[in-house]
Amino acid sequence: MSTSKSSIINFPLNHPWAIVAAVLILTLGLGLQIPSIQIDTDPENMLSEEEFVRVFHNQVKKEFVLYDMLVLGVVNEEHAEGVFNPATLEKVFHLTRKIETLEGVIEFDLLAPSKVDDIQQAGLGSVRFEWLMPSPPKNSEEATRIRDRARENPMLYGTLLSEDGKALCLYIPIQSKTLSYRIASQIQNYLNGLEGPEQYYITGLPVAEDTFGIEMFKQMAISAPLAGLIIFALMWIFFRSFLLVGAAMVVAGVTVICTMGLLISMGYTVHIMSSMIPIFLMPIAVVDSIHILSEFFDRYQIYKDRRETIVHVMRELFKPMLYTSLTSAAGFASLAFTPNPPVKVFGIFVTIGILLAWLLTILFIPAFIMLLKESSLKSFGLNQTSSGKSSMLERLLKPLAGWTYKRYRGIVGWSAVVMVISAIGISLIVINDNPVKWFEKKHPIRVADKVLNAHFGGTYMAYLVLEEMQDATGFQQSVAVIQKELTLRIEELQGDIPQLANIKSEALQQVRSFADQQTSSNKFSVAALLQKLEDKATQQTQAAKADAEAWDEVSLFFNEQKVQHQPFKDPETLRTLERLEEALMQSGAVGKVNSIVDVVKKVHYELMEGNREYNVIPKTSAAVAQTLLSFQNSHDPDDLWHLVTPDYQKANLWIQLKSGDNKDMEPVLKTVTAFFENDSGGKPLLAQWAGLTYLNVVWQDKMVQGMLKSLLGSFVIVFLMATFLFRSPLWGILCMVPLTVTITLIYGLIGFIGKDYDMPVAVLSAMTLGLSVDFAIHFLQRSRTVYPRTDRNWLKTSEEMYGEPARAISRNILVIAVGFTPLLISPLIPYQTVGFLLASIMVVSGIATLLILPALIRMAEPRLFKN
Amino acid sequence: MRKIFLVMGCMALGWISGPTVESPAQGKSLSVQDIVDRSNLAAYYEGKDGRAHVNMTITDSQERTRERRFTILRRDNKDGGDQKFYVHFSRPSDVRNMVFMVWKHIGQNDDRWLYLPALDLVKRIAASDKRTSFVGSHFFYEDVSGRNPADDTHELIETTGQYYVLKNTPKNSDEVEFSHYLLWIDKTHFLPMKAEYYDKNAKQYRLVEALKVETIQSHPTVTKAKVTDLNSGGHTVSVFSKIEYDLGIQESIFTERYLRRAPRKWLK
Repeated sequence: MSTSKSSIINFPLNHPWAIVAAVLILTLGLGLQIPSIQIDTDPENMLSEEEFVRVFHNQVKKEFVLYDMLVLGVVNEEHAEGVFNPATLEKVFHLTRKIETLEGVIEFDLLAPSKVDDIQQAGLGSVRFEWLMPSPPKNSEEATRIRDRARENPMLYGTLLSEDGKALCLYIPIQSKTLSYRIASQIQNYLNGLEGPEQYYITGLPVAEDTFGIEMFKQMAISAPLAGLIIFALMWIFFRSFLLVGAAMVVAGVTVICTMGLLISMGYTVHIMSSMIPIFLMPIAVVDSIHILSEFFDRYQIYKDRRETIVHVMRELFKPMLYTSLTSAAGFASLAFTPNPPVKVFGIFVTIGILLAWLLTILFIPAFIMLLKESSLKSFGLNQTSSGKSSMLERLLKPLAGWTYKRYRGIVGWSAVVMVISAIGISLIVINDNPVKWFEKKHPIRVADKVLNAHFGGTYMAYLVLEEMQDATGFQQSVAVIQKELTLRIEELQGDIPQLANIKSEALQQVRSFADQQTSSNKFSVAALLQKLEDKATQQTQAAKADAEAWDEVSLFFNEQKVQHQPFKDPETLRTLERLEEALMQSGAVGKVNSIVDVVKKVHYELMEGNREYNVIPKTSAAVAQTLLSFQNSHDPDDLWHLVTPDYQKANLWIQLKSGDNKDMEPVLKTVTAFFENDSGGKPLLAQWAGLTYLNVVWQDKMVQGMLKSLLGSFVIVFLMATFLFRSPLWGILCMVPLTVTITLIYGLIGFIGKDYDMPVAVLSAMTLGLSVDFAIHFLQRSRTVYPRTDRNWLKTSEEMYGEPARAISRNILVIAVGFTPLLISPLIPYQTVGFLLASIMVVSGIATLLILPALIRMAEPRLFKN
Repeated sequence: MRKIFLVMGCMALGWISGPTVESPAQGKSLSVQDIVDRSNLAAYYEGKDGRAHVNMTITDSQERTRERRFTILRRDNKDGGDQKFYVHFSRPSDVRNMVFMVWKHIGQNDDRWLYLPALDLVKRIAASDKRTSFVGSHFFYEDVSGRNPADDTHELIETTGQYYVLKNTPKNSDEVEFSHYLLWIDKTHFLPMKAEYYDKNAKQYRLVEALKVETIQSHPTVTKAKVTDLNSGGHTVSVFSKIEYDLGIQESIFTERYLRRAPRKWLK
């Protein structure tokens, strides 16, 4: 160990140019990969592509022809009739025309006053299917008539127009989420050219997500370099040597470039998570360099020889640096076991980056120093030893040695109190996320979100898909019933159509064999069976001329049976849906639900002369079927297939939510579960969720649990590593104290101030672990080295510890905490969170290391230093 | 004014017929108006009445299909004048005995009725624009009952070996969703064989085709027609069978009284 250690230490001192060349080649090679970067801002990718909910979500989108939507709100607060005046509606009309022409917009599914159909009374005994606004209204009567008609239509009210008539909303379906920023910008450009009292707002999850990506890219280009610059400036203040500080920055820069280059060259996309890799790696990479420079700074004037100083510094720091790097790496590597692919990638590449930074620190920094002229180092660290004047840091830290020695009971006691209070804070933590809230409150997307959700049923979409439960027993029973009914039907009609006798056994045989085919492949859909039987019988009508009439009767029979097995034409099942809708509306977060039930009721009501008594589900399934066929005589008959599949086997509740927060979505999920537990009305239905708002809940949930497991896992690993390093479980426990205190305090604080536990907060737990253990290992390892030199006296050891080692830790705290303040001015909340938390983590873990560790050592000195 | 776009409608319902004797050579000297009139005549006014069984298959972009089966009766009041249609549904079985009836008027709005047996309800459908779906298919009501040729201006843009190609532009573009459509009229029997509809951005979004023509009672007749919605990717195919002309269907069949009581005799 020690020979390999000294050969590692000596290698860069003997071959500095080789090291520099190697670093240069590596950086160029990987750096050149960076331009082929692929940005991915889709939170959906927080789930693996094979994840059931994601597969299901995509299947639902396909089955019900659903698209991701932008929401464009138009508000007129000035006009007495709100937006329902000729001038505003004319603008909306032309705006709609404009949007239709934009590439990527699904024109035929656009929801706008001029694009939706309305059914209404048209005099005695008549109904009319008509565009709601075929052309701009010519006068205010026409304008308010449009409003009144839309109000009468439950499919439009609260969706297309607001309750107060001040606002209306266009729902713009788009081919792909990744087009939303471009399309939103094109719409915004058009809106900028409009004059008048109207306010326009664009929002919706897709545009929030896509816009975040664009802004994220900007932040990567601004924040990370700015943080680098500030770190550089601070380090210069401490060490007053551009060259040496520059070397540390080179380590950080090379680490970031190589890690990102590697990530990109391996074909990974840069997700919101991985975009933070530079921000995480920079402090970690700089930390080790600061330890070396700090020690070098304090020692150089003693040795006055760079080689001797470096050898001394490296001997002192090699072990703690190796172990801090390994423990930090372990902390992040544990993320590789989380269920979210972007978190995995993030964890793995930060781990690679940490190990690379370590390698660079111990190889490049010494090599670099060796390449400097001795004369250029002449003044390095000079003022510290020669002038006798002590720095502010020194004056601040020195007295702590005695203080922690004297007041150790108080320190430990108060720390315990703080821990208990923090634990209460942790219990208050609210796990929540919402991509729209990734923007600052004054960001146009946030403003739009607030305004539109105040006016409408909600701009967040979730889909609840219902179908009948299918199982083997039910299937066999249905098959038996079909056979029996078919026999009866044939016997009944045999008198009129004697050929039925010829085909009877064949028809029954077909039922059996088709049913067996399905059973053997574990498919228990009676509807699918009947469809096949009907198709087959229809074929035979054409094939067998002599028995054509008989087969036609059989085909009709199967068609009748099929129609009876269409649950979402069945009034009983529709009434279950109606009750479910009521329960959802009462749950609070739901602003609006659109379903097949609403269509059926509205059309039934209009067919029945607009009599309120008929605003109900018709009594028979034939009546439902005929109501729906009437509806299909409209401009957009296919609108029906957003709410039910054409075979009526599955229904979709389109749910609009006023909030996209997970904490608001979760009660909605519970409402549905509770509904099906308690509702005993209809046949049992299987309910499954889809939609972006729901997907966010799922990945968030997985991430929080994954992070918690990973944190506990890495906690254990780090403890084992520390125990191994110190060859003592007691020292291992001691090592875990600062990070435990930091994590508890930080998360306690988050709980108290009410900040949501979201993606960046979750990821920072790994960061805390990595950085806090760093300080603790440095502090403890060096205490153990110093202790024997000071006659095994803790007070004397601690006086030395509050010299260089404490200064190195304090410099680290300041550099990183201040270095990341540029993140606080970012318009993106996750970046602000990271900036704020990084600073807090540094300060808290620094204080925990410098105050609690000495106090605990003081307490347990005899046991800790037995030999 | 002759209404060639009734041709489209009749084509959709499958019993367009043409004169049996026609010389393609004559076409060369025909004016645009002649072609329009000729096509209209050839396609529409053969036979005083007619009947067809229609099997309609609606297919969406995901290849999911839905069936409609109905019998259609037609009776002309006089050549080039008003007409009456009676559409009786037999499948799906839950819409069996539903009836859709139209009294087509030249120069004024049509009268339309709907009979819903399960609700025991006869409903008039008030006139609105005619470009609404016909029972959820890709055929429009106007494809069924006919677009008034006087609503468009016609332009002969090409004469090929087999077709006259007409460009038809609406006189009032606010009332329709297309900017124009092109029509391929067969020189031999003057049946329109293909129509392409273009939206306001000049992009083609709709295609109507006659897939099969058979001669029935000496009238060339479209027996298979297809409408494709190029936007959504769905299409509807209608197959016509048991076509008969000049059955002598009496006018009283086309009244409210027969909505509730289907005239079995004519529907077979």
